[in-house]
Order: sequence, then structure tokens, then C-alpha cells
Amino acid sequence: MGINLTYIPPIICGVSFVLTALFARKVPLASSLISVFTILCSFILFIFILTDFLSSDLNSIKFSIDWIVVSDMRITWGILLDSLSVTMLGLITLVALLVQIYSISYMKGDSRFGWYFSVHSLFAAAMITVVLVDNLILLYFAWELVGLGSYLLIGFWYEKRAASEAAKKAFITTRIGDVALLIGIILIFKSTGTFDISSIFHIARNGGISENILTISTFLIFLGAMGKSAQFPFHVWLPDAMEGPTPVSALIHAATMVAAGVYLVARMMPLFSLAPYVLDFVVFIGLFTFIFAGTMAIVMHDIKRVLAYSTISHLGLMMMSLGFMGVASAIFHLIVHGISKALLFLGAGSLMHEMDGETDIRKMGGLINKMPITAITFIIGSVSLAGIIPLSGFFSKDEILLTVFEKGGILILLPALAGAFLSSLYMFRLTFITFFGSLKNDNSKVGESPILMTLPLILLALLAIFMSILLLEISTFKGFIYFISGHKAHLNLLLIVFSSILSFVALILAWFIYIKDSKYLIDWYKSKMKWNYNLILNKYYIDELYQYIINQIIIRFAQFVALFDRLVVNDIGVDRSSLSIRFLGLRLKLIQTGKMHGYAISMLFGFLILILTWAIL
Amino acid sequence: MDLIKENILILTILLPLIGATLIFITPGYLDNLVKYIALIISFVTFIISILIFILYDINSGGVQLLWDWEWLSLKGAWPLGDKGITLNLGVDGISVMMVLLTGIVMFTGVMASWNIQNRSKDFFILYFLLLAGVFGVFVSYDMFFFFLFYELSVMPMFLLIGYWGSSSDFRTFSRTKEYAAMKLTLFLVAGSVLIWIAIIAIFVQAGLGSFNILEIQKVVDDKFPLNFQQINFFMIMIGFGILAGMWPFHTWSPDGHVSAPTSVSMVHAGVLMKLGAFGIIRIGMTLLPEGANSLMPLLMILGCINVIYGAFSALGQTDLKYVVGYSSVSHMGYVLMGLASMELLGFTGAVYQMFSHGIMTALFFLAVGAIYHSMHTRDTLILKGIFKKMPYISVFFVIAGLTSLGLPGLSGFAAEILIFLGVFKSYGSLGILFGSLAVIGAGITAIYILRLVSKVFFGVPDENKQNTNNNLDATRFENTAGIILVGLILFAGLYPLPFIDMITSGVTPILSNVLGGL
Repeated sequence: MGINLTYIPPIICGVSFVLTALFARKVPLASSLISVFTILCSFILFIFILTDFLSSDLNSIKFSIDWIVVSDMRITWGILLDSLSVTMLGLITLVALLVQIYSISYMKGDSRFGWYFSVHSLFAAAMITVVLVDNLILLYFAWELVGLGSYLLIGFWYEKRAASEAAKKAFITTRIGDVALLIGIILIFKSTGTFDISSIFHIARNGGISENILTISTFLIFLGAMGKSAQFPFHVWLPDAMEGPTPVSALIHAATMVAAGVYLVARMMPLFSLAPYVLDFVVFIGLFTFIFAGTMAIVMHDIKRVLAYSTISHLGLMMMSLGFMGVASAIFHLIVHGISKALLFLGAGSLMHEMDGETDIRKMGGLINKMPITAITFIIGSVSLAGIIPLSGFFSKDEILLTVFEKGGILILLPALAGAFLSSLYMFRLTFITFFGSLKNDNSKVGESPILMTLPLILLALLAIFMSILLLEISTFKGFIYFISGHKAHLNLLLIVFSSILSFVALILAWFIYIKDSKYLIDWYKSKMKWNYNLILNKYYIDELYQYIINQIIIRFAQFVALFDRLVVNDIGVDRSSLSIRFLGLRLKLIQTGKMHGYAISMLFGFLILILTWAIL
Repeated sequence: MDLIKENILILTILLPLIGATLIFITPGYLDNLVKYIALIISFVTFIISILIFILYDINSGGVQLLWDWEWLSLKGAWPLGDKGITLNLGVDGISVMMVLLTGIVMFTGVMASWNIQNRSKDFFILYFLLLAGVFGVFVSYDMFFFFLFYELSVMPMFLLIGYWGSSSDFRTFSRTKEYAAMKLTLFLVAGSVLIWIAIIAIFVQAGLGSFNILEIQKVVDDKFPLNFQQINFFMIMIGFGILAGMWPFHTWSPDGHVSAPTSVSMVHAGVLMKLGAFGIIRIGMTLLPEGANSLMPLLMILGCINVIYGAFSALGQTDLKYVVGYSSVSHMGYVLMGLASMELLGFTGAVYQMFSHGIMTALFFLAVGAIYHSMHTRDTLILKGIFKKMPYISVFFVIAGLTSLGLPGLSGFAAEILIFLGVFKSYGSLGILFGSLAVIGAGITAIYILRLVSKVFFGVPDENKQNTNNNLDATRFENTAGIILVGLILFAGLYPLPFIDMITSGVTPILSNVLGGL
């Protein structure tokens, strides 16, 4: 019965948004409870759907409502249920549920408490729709609403200039990708005449789309995915998005929304697989972002920014896997990363909650004694992401590296391993600086966060440890990799050993630098490679470059157009032509002298001209 | 009920005229009475416009609710017929939507003019005359009355802007309300000269002795050679295009908005600019299908320029009303592109965009007017943190903004997506170019709207620079008007099906007519 109720979660979340948005001001607490309740129901429904899905072969359900019908063009709300969408549904509802519970305590006392939860409901409704809907144009529909949710939550404290700027930046940056995405979708429509995802695949497989169109449109779709998943060169919005409340970062900017790009590429994989050039591009962007963002994560001092760059980096890793058509490994890493990163962000939130919003890790240290639960769960999260055996992060990363090795060979594997090394290094750096070492003086009063905040942390930590169980075969369930791709997972022992060694080297290196305080390595780096350090600390000056382009080129151009419109089109084109008529009038009125003989002479001449023309013709 | 049904179309014209008369005989010092009469009359008209929407039978389509009254007999004057000049009223799917839009904007506009203190009696008389004209254009199937009502709707604008408007000084230049009013009127009159020539040419060429569009439509194929159609469609396109804000004849529009009082801006951008596009459909595409067919590429190019040029101009402005004014220019470009696509999707989208943009821009001007009323400035470099001071108005503005940047779930997206699809499908690979430019235009819209929202609405209000009244947020009436508009935007965006069906039923015959000329 569960499978036929798949359309319920987005609907109840949407209803919850409407209800809470209307009454959030009057009854903030009630709106938070409604929101949590609906997401809880969604999660429970997910469990029913999953059990049903596993036990039956059903993968499409009859549910359709027409949205727009113009003669034979029909855009219909419908649901596409396969292992991919079920998995995403699970991740979204679970993380959203935990984050919302956490937020009740975290956001307590905020003046827009109710509104916070209603945007969460909007986001949940949109995000669930993105992964369930069977139709590209409605996927875009929900995709944009997800962006709206993100915009509203980043700019939640809109009085802060930084927050409103960050919200704007996020929306506009992703919007650039979305313009490309929409063009890509319409191009596909132009050649197939449908938006329905499975029909498009069917047509594409039978060669119904020309190769050029296929390459261009998948490329454009990938640009959309790059925007949402913050891949280079669209990555600039994600670190700034940390201006929003921290639980928001956990849900939207780590676990779910940024994963939408990865989901989109995974969903459209049958199309991408027909466009080899685009797949190469995906690999390139993924690999570059993986390393590029890793270098920035290693020098940042703001705990949330370190995590943000780490998110970008891991999304790059997933993209790289997708570029090699490793959908299952990418999605598995998406889940594990989503869980671990949500845990880390919530942990960071717990720290900030107790430290009056402090985010600078240089002012933290030795917090493991003051906040044991937060510290231990945080360490679990970072160890998992750093890829230490036997936590789940190790297995998911290893699956991807294996895909890379098998399909891309050693030349791609080596830089990927370097990226993996970086990601271990910055996770340990963050952990060591924050929780170990000596306690700073002004932090002596810090205590553990309330139960509503630590409970989600513990649950997520348990998941981060045991998620790798999903890879095993349990009765009818033949392992996650099989679940998604239909192929059995396999292992490469050499690679496991090698990547484990790499992670341990990173651990030891970080321990030497940040616990033993062997500053010489860092000092050497900072003094000898100062230009490089500054370059990375300033985020490769990419933000400055974009700012320059916007201010000096786009805005200047717009001001030029505006001025052109006023001075040329209006003042010269319109006003001058009206002046010329006035001028003509002033001159012509001189003819009206009022003297009879003048009129008589001009009549005579006029008459002569008329006769002459008549005679000639 | 039957009595109402038979005469419902003439009611849309008569009610505003009755309203104007009632207000005329009310003493001017009874300011509130005047406003309440206006409110009631506009509300009844609004209900009538909804009734028309309900009474129109989509399944049978065509022109319905016909009503006629012979005004002037031309018996014997023309050899072929003796129809005379008759007030023929009727609606198809397109005009039903336009009548509904006019009803909404009229009603909300009255509520937005509640704080007019100065000679409100005269203001409302002119306002109702203007709207009688607008309704008349939408329901007339007689070219003579079409033109008459068209002029009736343009003329009161001159006084409304010239007297109740406001002059503004900007850093480097200034615009007086007299200048704006004069420019607007001259532009539109220039347009109507072209239209009038074309109308008379059609009348003579058809040789029926009748101005009736439905009658003339029957003889189009026999009597109108291609050459004739092209010349006249060109004149119709430019003449009505001026009113639709077509580049490069758009400059009357932003200046007019800046100087006009709130409700006049609402009607002006919300309904009046739609008259232009409607005229192209009703006279141009219906009576001159082959001409339309051959000149549409030109309209497509001009529409595309409108979209991009308008968006960039809006981005370069520092006055709230100029931003919204140029955004109207940009959005009317979408309408023109949709019409020019000659695709069912694009054409449907264009009409839906007319409807959607009408509501959206009314909401925009409602919000901007309220902000100007309490802040006494519209300078985006000065205004800051309005969200804190005027939450309702800010929400209205933001929703209008999101609609204009094409956020799904709001009406703009449903309309624009249809236009995009239509444009992409048309003109082969050139269509891809035009379509991509249209989508990019929506992207630029996002930039200027979000910059504005972030600069003007977010942040903390600056008490020193902003002159603020005590009475800050929206009045009761402004709130009601805003909520009605927001509700419609949401409804039209989430569940566009009934509207789309209505439009498709009206658009299909016209389009097949145009394409049949191939």
C-alpha cells in the first residue's frame, strides 16, 4: 500500500508550508510542530514505500494531474519511482527530520521562529518533488523552488548585510546554471516533443535525438547541475551561504540541495552516456573541483567555511564518479557524505550555540572535555569523511576510487588520491584544532548543548558508522550497489590498503602539526610559499574576479544602456523630433503674413506649377 | 439571469460610465462617499468580469455573448451592404481573459487610490472613463467602436498623469509630469493615426459597408491581396506596438509610470499596454493573416530586443518606478515574441503573459506607490531595510519580483515557459537563438530584481536619510488589494489549467487563420 502513497510527502509538506506561512507570526511553536510532524510522517511513509518497493517489482505508479495542457502538449505531475528516487527520498526525509528537531532547540527565541519552519516545509516539499517527479519541466519547477527555499534561509537574518548579500549571490549564481538547464530541457523537448523522462530515454536510445543536440543539451543540463552542486566555476556561492542559520547549512548546503545536481546527472545518466564528450567534461570538472576546493578547505579559519569547501570538494568527487558512469558509487557517497556532513554541520552548530555564535577555530580548542557528546560525534563524522576504515566514509570513497581506477586508469587515479589525501588532512586539522589542545580562557563556561540538539547528533553518528552495512547482502537486498545499478560490488584489496595508508599518513601529519604543535612545517610553508598561501586564503581571488565582472562590466553595460535609452533614444530620437516639428511650425507660420498680394502671388505660382506638371505629364 | 447573460457585455462598458455619472453628481466635498461609490461600482464590475469568465462556454469556443445595437445606418452609401456602424459586442477566449484582468486591476486600483486627497471626484470620473474605454476595446467586434473606445481609454491618461501625477528630480535630469503626460499622449496619438489609416483601408477594401470584424473576416481571402495585408499589418503592428511598449517606441512608458499616480500606473502597465498586444491580435492577426504571417519575423526581432534591452535598462536604473517601468518593457517583449512565434504554445503563452504581467505589474506599482507615499523617495541608493518598516508591502513587492523573474509556482513561470517553448519550436534553428535570448532575459531579470530586494528591502533601515511618516505599512485597502493580487498570482501559477483552456480556445482559430495563409 505504501507505494501508492508516494505522492503524499510533497503534498503534506506543501500544505504545511501554506499553513505555517499564514500563521507563523501568531503561533510560532505550533508551526514548528506542524512542520516537524509532516516531515516525520513523510519519513514514516518513506519506510512503507521502501518495504513495498523492495518486495515488489512495481516501479511506476499511477498518479497524474495535468498542470498545463495545450492541444497535444501535456505537462503532467507524475511520479517516477525507482531505486534512485527511493534512496533520495530516504536521505531527504531523514536528514530534514533530524535537522528540524535540532532546530527547535537551536532557533529558540528567534523572532522569526515560525517562518523558519515554514520555509523548511517549503524546502522539503520542493526537494522531495525534485527527486520524485517524472517530468523534466516540473523537475525544473521544483528545482527552482528548492533554490527559493535556499535563498530565503540563507537570507533568514536579512538585517545582516552579509546574509542578504550571500542569499542574493546564491540565487543569482545558481540561476545562471538554471538558465542553461532550462535551455537544455527545451532543446530536448524540441527534438523529442516530450518532457517525460522515461520517454526521452526511450527516444534517445533509439537515436531520436541528433548527436549535436544531445551533446549540447546534456552539457547545458550539466551546467545547471554544476550551479546547484557548486562545482567550479560556480562554487563561489556555497561558502557564503554559511551566513544562514547553521542547521540550514546542514540540511540544504551539505546534505540535500547541493546533492540535487548530483542527483540530476545521475537521473539523466542514460542521456549523458550517449554524450561521451560531456562525460569527459564531467570528469574534468569533478576532479578539478575535488582538489581545488580541498586546498581551500585546508587554510580556512572559519569552521563552517572549512566544512563548506569540504562539501564542494566531495561533490566534485561524486561528479567525477558520475563522469565514469559510476552512478551507484556516486549515490552511495552522496548518502554517506550527506549523513556525515549533516552531522558535522549540526556539531558545528552545537559549538556555536554554546559559544555565542563563534565560528573561528583559532578561538576554540580543548572542547572535548566541555562538550563530550558534540565532540565525539563530530570526531566520528570527520573520521568517516576522512576515510578511515571501518567507518562508512571509507567504503563510499573507496567505491568511487575503484570506479575511477577501473574506468579512468592510473592517470586519473593519482590526482584523485591526492584529493583524497587533502580531504583527510583538512578534516583532521579541523578536529584537532577545535577539540584538542589547550582550552582557551574565555571558553571555560561552555557546556553541552540541550538534548534536542545532541540526540540528532548521536543518531547521525551511529549512521555514519554503520551506513556501510548497506553494501552487504541481506536476504533479498543484494547490497546498495546492486540496488542502484544492478551490478554486484567488488573490491580491490590493493587500492583499499593504499588509500588507507594515505589516510593514516594524513592523520599522522595532522597530529604532528596541530597537536604536537610542530609549527616549523607550517611556518616554512607560510614564509617560503607566502604567495601561494595568500592565493589560497583569498580563495584564488575568484570572488574578486566575479565582483569585478559584475560591477565593471555588467552593471556598467546596464548603466550604459540606461543612459543610451535616455540620451539617445529619448532625448535625441523623441525630443529632437518633436522639436523639429516645432521648428518647422515656427518657420512655416512666417508664410502666414496676412497680406493679400503675397497670397495672390503664391496662388499664381502654385497654379502655374499645377498646369505645367499637367502639361508635362 | 438570462437578462444579465444577454446584456452582460454592455454592462462592462456601462457600469464604469454609470460610475462616472454617479460620481459626477456627487458633491466633491463628500470625499469618502465618492470613494465608496467608486469602490462599489468597481467591485460590481469585477464580479461581472468573473461572471463573463464563468458564462463563456469553452467547449463550444468561438465568439460568444453577442450583443449589438445599430448606431449609424449607412444604407445606400455603400453599394454592397447596408450594415451601418453597429456596436457589436462579443468575447472569445482571449478577450474573456483580458476582461477578467481589467476587472481585477480596476477594483484593486480603486483601493490603491484611497489616499488621493486632491480633487478625488474628478480623478475617479476620469479613471472610470478610462476603464470604460478599456472594457470597450476588449469586447468590441466592430472596428469603429474598437477605435473609439481605444481613444477613450487613451485620452483620460493625459489628465490623470498631468494633474495627479508627480514630477521628479533625479541626479542628472528631471522629468515633469506635464512632459510625461504630453509625451505619452503624443506617442499614443501617433500610433492611433497609423491604426486609423489601416482601419479605414480595411473598411474600404472589404467593401461591405461594415466595420464588423466578424463580417470582414469572411472576405479576407477574396478581397485582401498580400501586398495590401503587408502594408496594413505593418501599420497596425507599429501603431499598436507603440502602446505595447515596442522598442524603439517605448520611451513614453517608463516616463509615464514614473510620473503617474499609483492606480494610474497600475491600470497603465497592467491593462493599457495589453491593449496594444490585443489590437495586434484582434485586428492585425485576425483580419490580415497573411500580412501577419510575413511580418512576424520582424516582430520577433523587436520583441527580442525589448526583452534584453528592457532588462539591461532596468538593471541600470536607480529609481524604483523606472526599474518596474523598464521591466514592463522587457516583459511586453515576451508577449510580442510569443505572438511572433506563430506556434500554439507561444501564442497561448503570450496571452497568458498579458494576463500574468497585468496582475504582477499592478502588484508592483501598488507596492512602489505605498513605499513612495510613506518614504517620499524611490531612490534605490537611499532606501534601505524597508522590510522592517513595511512588512506587508515588502512581501507584495518581493512576490511581484519573484513572479517577474519567472519563479515556478507563480503566474510568470507558467506564461513564460509556454512562450519559451513556442519560440524554440518556431523558425528552425533561429528559434533556438531567439528562445535562448528570451531565457537569458529572464536570468537578467533575476539579477536586477534580487539586487533591488537585497538593497532596498533587506538590511536595517537608515533613519537619517529616510523621511518617514508614522503611518507606515499598507493601509487596510492596500492590503486587501495586495492580497487579492497575490492570491491570483499564486492561483494562476499553481493551477493555470482553466485559464490556459480559455486562452487556447480563443487562440486556436486565429492562429490557424494566420498559418492557413501559408
